[in-house]
Amino acid sequence: MKLARTLGLASVLALSAGLAHADSTVRFWYHFDNADNPMDALIAAFEEANPGITVEAENVPWNSYYDQLYTAIIGGNAPDAAMVKAFAQPRLVEMGALAPIDDWLAGWDGTAALQDNLIDLVKGPDGTQYYLPVQYVVLYLYYRPDMFADLGLEVPTTCEAFREAAKALTRDTDGDGQTDVYGFGFRGAKGGHDHWASFVLGAEGVSLTEGLTSEAGVAGTQFVADLFQKDEVFPPSAPNDGFQEIIGAFKAGKTAMTIHHIGSANGMVEALGDNVSAAPVPDCGGGRWTAFGDESTAVLSNAEDPEAAWKWISFLSSAGNNAKFNEATGQLPVVKADSESWTLHPQRFVQATVDSLPFAQMLPNSSATADFVNTVWPTAMQRVLTGDITAEEMNAEIAKLYGG
Amino acid sequence: MTDATMTHAHSQEAPPRRALARQVLPYAMLSPAVLVTLAIVFFPMVQTAWMSLHDYVLFRPNVFEWVGLKNFRTALQDEVFWISLWHTVIWMCTTIPAQLLLGLVTALLLNQSFPWRPLARALIIIPWALPSVVIALMWVWIYDSNYGVANEFLLRLGLIQKAIPWLANPDTALASIILTLTWQGFPFFAVMILAGLQSIPRSYYEAASIDGASTWRQFWHITLPGISGVMVTAVLLRTIWVANSFDVIFVMTGGGPGYATYTLPLFAFVKARTNLDFGYGSAIAVLFTLLLMLVVVVYLKRTGKAVS
Repeated sequence: MKLARTLGLASVLALSAGLAHADSTVRFWYHFDNADNPMDALIAAFEEANPGITVEAENVPWNSYYDQLYTAIIGGNAPDAAMVKAFAQPRLVEMGALAPIDDWLAGWDGTAALQDNLIDLVKGPDGTQYYLPVQYVVLYLYYRPDMFADLGLEVPTTCEAFREAAKALTRDTDGDGQTDVYGFGFRGAKGGHDHWASFVLGAEGVSLTEGLTSEAGVAGTQFVADLFQKDEVFPPSAPNDGFQEIIGAFKAGKTAMTIHHIGSANGMVEALGDNVSAAPVPDCGGGRWTAFGDESTAVLSNAEDPEAAWKWISFLSSAGNNAKFNEATGQLPVVKADSESWTLHPQRFVQATVDSLPFAQMLPNSSATADFVNTVWPTAMQRVLTGDITAEEMNAEIAKLYGG
Repeated sequence: MTDATMTHAHSQEAPPRRALARQVLPYAMLSPAVLVTLAIVFFPMVQTAWMSLHDYVLFRPNVFEWVGLKNFRTALQDEVFWISLWHTVIWMCTTIPAQLLLGLVTALLLNQSFPWRPLARALIIIPWALPSVVIALMWVWIYDSNYGVANEFLLRLGLIQKAIPWLANPDTALASIILTLTWQGFPFFAVMILAGLQSIPRSYYEAASIDGASTWRQFWHITLPGISGVMVTAVLLRTIWVANSFDVIFVMTGGGPGYATYTLPLFAFVKARTNLDFGYGSAIAVLFTLLLMLVVVVYLKRTGKAVS
């Protein structure tokens, strides 16, 4: 009897001990275009360094990433941590979906190792820190130096020069009466707002929140419409073209210029060798504007074990791990030490990124930005390009969205 | 009481119990299916109708205000609603007749005797068997203005002088998607009509032939009446499916360029899923359901009379 009681007590104790040290699972959502996904290697390294924590990482397709994330949050099935962009932050904060990370950041030795200002750039709309940067890029102009050389053209530094170059580059190269090369690959579908913004928001006094309906603002949108309708320097499919189409057309030699970031550089070099280079976007209307492409990670407020989720996201933004992460995404590391030893991209693309940094900007930290990116901009731009509405109407619609 | 009387008493009680069991049994057997249907169809429908009467934006989960019919009024004043409704009408009025006609011709051909007929019958089902997303991506490439086989083919034939951006031009985008969906859906009609054709006795044709009826009269007086029941059912099913289907549009154009390929289900989806405005999205979905129900009721009444 005594033995049975002892065994029983021992079992209860063992069970309680087991529960106290129960393993944590961190469900992590991310989006990688790269098929050589290194996440398994990073997870293995993390789990080895953090026994008791298991990471279940799910690669969610980019096109529906935020639709799925918002729905999962409302449905109570959100991941514990996720990759997130700044434009989504106001909405996620409004939903109460993010856990503050200020306290963790204060006690983490990796904070000082991050690139200057990156933490501040992704601070929440209420002044709280929710996002931990994991990679960044800046958009610039890709161009074909061989085509420019053939036609004796200079890389355009102003919108006027850009227009002339694009017109010259648009040509029938084999004499069959069909245009074989277009001057610029414009992204008219979702995600193309960065292209439009580079031609519109550089003008003095014009931003998404003010001045968009001014003469200068409307002239910017009209400039884009004219490039397509009058000059015909975009491929005819431009209104529907997304990321795959613009990059594919540039690699195939169908377009001579396009705008994207360093994430595409290695693929471009693989396809075109030395016949691809990069430069900052042109000066339009008296100034330059390019997009600062951010990507951070965040702990979600419903995380079962927020501490474990923080350990995982901070692991991804630590020296060495951050480099591995960015080797897969082709973007730039946020850790100073990783940046200094960075050799993944040819220097000319790193240089174009660095040269573009002084005028790189983010979209407004407002809840309206998600609608601007996802529906308002693509629909309005396509309608302008196809002649359904005017440039003035498009700018008015965007200004209205931002309360202007 | 003797054993004999007890047995007699039992035999008198048994019939009502058996009758009761017979009455209850069908309900008991049906109840799992009914419960599942209630849970996965009826409950979400009621929930959608309830949400449509509220201001419910998903990223403001704490705000769920009763607004009555405001979302419906907004929809009826929304230019995009009317554009989408018009596209839905075009979408249904062209896709379904085109599928039916192509399906009928295919079924008549497959009903003839020719070598490798079983293989042809199996191959014809491929478009129907392929997932919508695969079909949409395949046709996006066919229509591509730079590398698409459609432009290449038409250019070589000299029918066009310049590559046409089929999906990026608002004048051709909807028609291009309708062609895709016609290709995807016609095997359904072909298979259904073929089954109907095989149920018509050959003796009818033999008798008509002896009486000197031409092929056309045989088709009009024997074939069409013979398959009308199948056709009515097939058209009804396809009407509902085609009306609700937006997956192919979503993958091919996402509704663009502009609103050129917006249909009501797509508009409801974009409002709810992308803009997270579930109140407004639900109102559009409810309006569309009512319109579709009206179409189905009118169709059933008219075809019911015609078939009888």
